Amino acid sequence: MTTTVPVPPATETSTGALTVTRGALTPRGGRRRRILLRLLALVVLYGLWEVAARVTRNPTFIPSPGAVWHQLVQTSTTHDGIRGYSGHLLIEHLGVSLRRILIGSVIGVAGGVLLGVVMGTVSWIRVVIEPVVTFVRALPPLAYFSLFIIWFGIDETPKLWLLSIAAMPPVAVATAAAVYAAPTGLVEAARALGASRAQVIRDVVLPHALPEIFTGIRIAVGVAYSSVVAAETINGVPGIGGMVRDAQRYSQTDVVVLGLFAIGLSGLIIDALLRSAENRLIPWRGQI
Amino acid sequence: MPSAESGGTPAIAVTDVEHRYGDTVALGPLNLAVPPGEFLVLVGASGCGKSTLLRLIAGFERPTTGTVLTGGVPPIPGRGAGLVFQQPRLFPWKTVGGNIELALRYAGQSTDGVDALLQRVGLPDVAKRRTWQISGGQQQRVAIARALAADRPLLLLDEPFAALDALTRERLQEDLRSVSAATGRTSIFVTHSVDEAVFLGSRVVVLSPRPGRIVLDLPIPLPRAGITPDDLRGLPDYAALRAEIGHAVRSEGASA
Repeated sequence: MTTTVPVPPATETSTGALTVTRGALTPRGGRRRRILLRLLALVVLYGLWEVAARVTRNPTFIPSPGAVWHQLVQTSTTHDGIRGYSGHLLIEHLGVSLRRILIGSVIGVAGGVLLGVVMGTVSWIRVVIEPVVTFVRALPPLAYFSLFIIWFGIDETPKLWLLSIAAMPPVAVATAAAVYAAPTGLVEAARALGASRAQVIRDVVLPHALPEIFTGIRIAVGVAYSSVVAAETINGVPGIGGMVRDAQRYSQTDVVVLGLFAIGLSGLIIDALLRSAENRLIPWRGQI
Repeated sequence: MPSAESGGTPAIAVTDVEHRYGDTVALGPLNLAVPPGEFLVLVGASGCGKSTLLRLIAGFERPTTGTVLTGGVPPIPGRGAGLVFQQPRLFPWKTVGGNIELALRYAGQSTDGVDALLQRVGLPDVAKRRTWQISGGQQQRVAIARALAADRPLLLLDEPFAALDALTRERLQEDLRSVSAATGRTSIFVTHSVDEAVFLGSRVVVLSPRPGRIVLDLPIPLPRAGITPDDLRGLPDYAALRAEIGHAVRSEGASA
């Protein structure tokens, strides 16, 4: 009677195949070439910017890279008794905005996931809620910000409401779609093992939806990021949006450009962190 | 058609069952009683209702008419039967061990038995691996271990080896036969293959093309333990049974 079967070498084959595929997609030479290309593009852009600034000779229209660098130094230090910009260092402006984005995104994502799961599992709720979510999604954040100002004043609360509401629809839509499309085969497999309805949602539907939810989260954080400037148009200092808004009022284009760089670069870093977290938390993406 | 009653409550009782999908009769009328400990193999052409019958017995569907009872009560998914599908249907977000742990947790059992279950299906040392890092045959072994985890009285297998290569399929048949002999669990195995049916079954039921009705119900009086697969296949009775079942399948226009 045969009871033990050795582990077939197919494992090595499949792992090997994966390695080969990855290697083919990202050869070392290709990566180096890509980095060089990006550096070259940056240098060219810098050169074009410099030329444009010199040709126009109007720093209010196009500030030179040197002027923006100067503002970076000025806003990051205390000079002649003036601390940064509007009494706060650039890093503090950025930190306050990031805190708002974080809180708004966390609330929006939590609400969006909850809403998405309910929408994906209870059909009559989906029928009722879906148009509302689409309606909110279509509204520009500034449209409902005025309402929040009337309701909650001009401090933190309306800003956090704005970011939370702006971040919620992408996550809700992505979650609902993924939950609704949960594979019948895996749901049946869990039910055949004796899983309750709640266990099926927790152990099958949600993990299966996680890649889509993460895509929704990345979009939501992007939306929260783009909404933060709107949220900080009123009483937004300290805050990177408030700083940009103030600089625009005083035609300090170099500070505006600096603020845009700060928002863009921190956005890139956050997206890279989210992508890295996604790769670590969802190693099965593409394996179903 | 005769049914193998051995006295007492049968493990599975299918009585006057007919099942329809809209206007199409998929199965029946059909009567079948499976006594405890039997390894019943259902053979028939594609679309004859084999899988439908299995789903009725698993409790995933209710028959249009008639009754299905497992252990004397109507079946509820996850209560009375472990189920192995044609595809392994493992949860890729869990490791191999995690998949089995989940089954043990649902069954309210200790999760200490993961290694023992993997050992039973011939897969030591893979508990920590990801499901997609093991071969298709290994995945199907894990699916069998997962179905055995809950220790249900019934084991239902719906063409579990159909998608595997011939060599892996043969190995798994041998192992399933051993596991079945060791556990003595009542099992129903669905297949197209006549050879697989004779090799695995203690009883073979051949279904006609749609609507599936029993055209042959044959006990397989071959030794279930203490014999090597090659010796089993070499028995004169093995060839005779294979021929008889093959004839029944062919005469019904089934493509086994």
